[in-house]
Amino acid sequence: MKRNPICKKEMRSAVRDVKIPVTITICSGILAAVALLSMYLNVAQVRVSAQIQYRSFLDLYVFVAVIGFLMLVFLMPALTAGSISGERERQTLDIMMTTMVSRWDIVSGKLLSSLAVMFLVIISMFPVLALAFVYGGISWLDVGILMICFFTSALLTGAIGIFCSALFKRSIISTVVAYSLTALVFIGTYGVNLLAESLSRMTNGGLAGMGAVSDAGSGAFLYLLLLNPSSTFMMILDGQMNPAAPRPDAWFGPHAVSLITENWALAGMAVQLAAAACLIWAAVKVMDIERLKRKHA
Amino acid sequence: MLSIRGLKKAYGKAQVLDGLDMDVEDGALYGFIGPNGAGKTTTIKIITGLLRADEGIVTLGDMDIGNGGVNWRKELGYVPDFFGVYDNLKVGEYMEFFAACYGIEGLTARKRCSILLDQVGLEDRRGAYVDSLSRGMKQRLCLARALIHDPSLLVLDEPTSGLDPRTRAEFKEILSELRDQGKTILISSHVLSELSEFCTDVGIIDRGRMVLSGNISQILSQVNISNPLIISLYGDQTEKAVAILKAHPYVKTITIRGADIAVRFSGDDEDQAILLQQLVDADVPVKSFSREKGSLESLFMEITDDSQERTVLKFETESNL
Repeated sequence: MKRNPICKKEMRSAVRDVKIPVTITICSGILAAVALLSMYLNVAQVRVSAQIQYRSFLDLYVFVAVIGFLMLVFLMPALTAGSISGERERQTLDIMMTTMVSRWDIVSGKLLSSLAVMFLVIISMFPVLALAFVYGGISWLDVGILMICFFTSALLTGAIGIFCSALFKRSIISTVVAYSLTALVFIGTYGVNLLAESLSRMTNGGLAGMGAVSDAGSGAFLYLLLLNPSSTFMMILDGQMNPAAPRPDAWFGPHAVSLITENWALAGMAVQLAAAACLIWAAVKVMDIERLKRKHA
Repeated sequence: MLSIRGLKKAYGKAQVLDGLDMDVEDGALYGFIGPNGAGKTTTIKIITGLLRADEGIVTLGDMDIGNGGVNWRKELGYVPDFFGVYDNLKVGEYMEFFAACYGIEGLTARKRCSILLDQVGLEDRRGAYVDSLSRGMKQRLCLARALIHDPSLLVLDEPTSGLDPRTRAEFKEILSELRDQGKTILISSHVLSELSEFCTDVGIIDRGRMVLSGNISQILSQVNISNPLIISLYGDQTEKAVAILKAHPYVKTITIRGADIAVRFSGDDEDQAILLQQLVDADVPVKSFSREKGSLESLFMEITDDSQERTVLKFETESNL
């Protein structure tokens, strides 16, 4: 299988850009500082109380995982939202479209290169993450599942960015819309559930004393959270750190236990992958040649 | 090589192309000219697959460009009127990237890149970053990039715009070499004097239609025939000369241009010689007696000027164009 030339070119350009090494340096620097501080506090604790807080290493793992997830959420739209619109602005997209490279090659090449850069940043955090293995509590399987969650989250946020980049001619507009859509997915879905639960409580408020209030929940809106990578991430992390944490059927009020709530992480990742696939397909479609036309002068 | 029939394209209510027909023969260097807004760039974008026509057929060889396939792209190289820059790519990497876009990789790609960079005079800049090149170098690089897959048709949209005369001359030389190698080249330009120097065929488009096309030598020779005779005289013998000219049956119009007389003369070369003899016999001191030479500029101005529509019709009748 021939390598995607777009991906190769993008990777070459990305590694020559100072932004990626600076981002890695800053993130790894912060994580390393936090890890060192945590180790220092543990040592100080041992000197005082002769007790080792093994929990602190797991807390470090959670901290690194959360930082990694947040970086992914903020960086992926930035990496992808200007990819195709930037080509349009630099007037290089026309030339590319006259070659044998297909629209699918362009979209997939841009997305793959952004994913590769993102994972370079994530993998740079592994040394700090590996500290959690020193005292146990986390297995390679846990880390593997976390990586899969990161991948699906990156794919979805990247697909949002790519779609906006293909849709809009200007990078600034596609970036703003990409971040807005990302916020809608991450915050909006929670917001809808909160609102639905509140309305449900208000509706059932008149039946107070009859046990109706305790049945107030967000209803079917809960399943909107399947689209939200943060719900999947929290579910996985909670499952690794605290098996007794509330399950999705208890989020935003009581809900009926179902196959989906029982396998929330898996279902969530499947929905997010499907959503990403739809957005990528849409990005290829909106890159129709008619969209490249300029207004007749 | 390239055939266009009945091409139509509208942007909203503006009909940019209105039934354009065009033929570019194998091995031709076809100059595609027209005033601003005539539809040149739209035509080129349709030929290169960047736009879809509303109606009409464009065929490259035996391949229909509008049918949605991509195989015809192997036969076409495109140099646009702008040069988009990739940050952080070197000249060699830029060429290899586009080679890979056509499925050419590895040693074959590197060899081909070297040959083309050498041909355009950029082999010594192979390791330089693309955005460090001058405009002229970028344009030559763009040409090399368009040739990476050895296309049979090269389409250039205003390739020399913004270039200094020396760079323009160098570019022209490269195009002439390509023509001699058997490449078919379609070039759109406003620099008509250059086109007339090295183009073999020309097509003039106006308001979305082809108004004149064909072999440039034949067109210019026919234009020459219909151009006026310019008679320059010594001294003030204009009245005498005009009296003789008025009486001549082949003299259609007489225009005094300072010391010269411009005469629309419908006779052949023999009749011209007889007229000259008549003037000399009448002791009219003739300093020079010749046909005004036609040029692509004058032809372009005549054909694309609305206010002189009657002149155009007469022009076409006289020149059989």
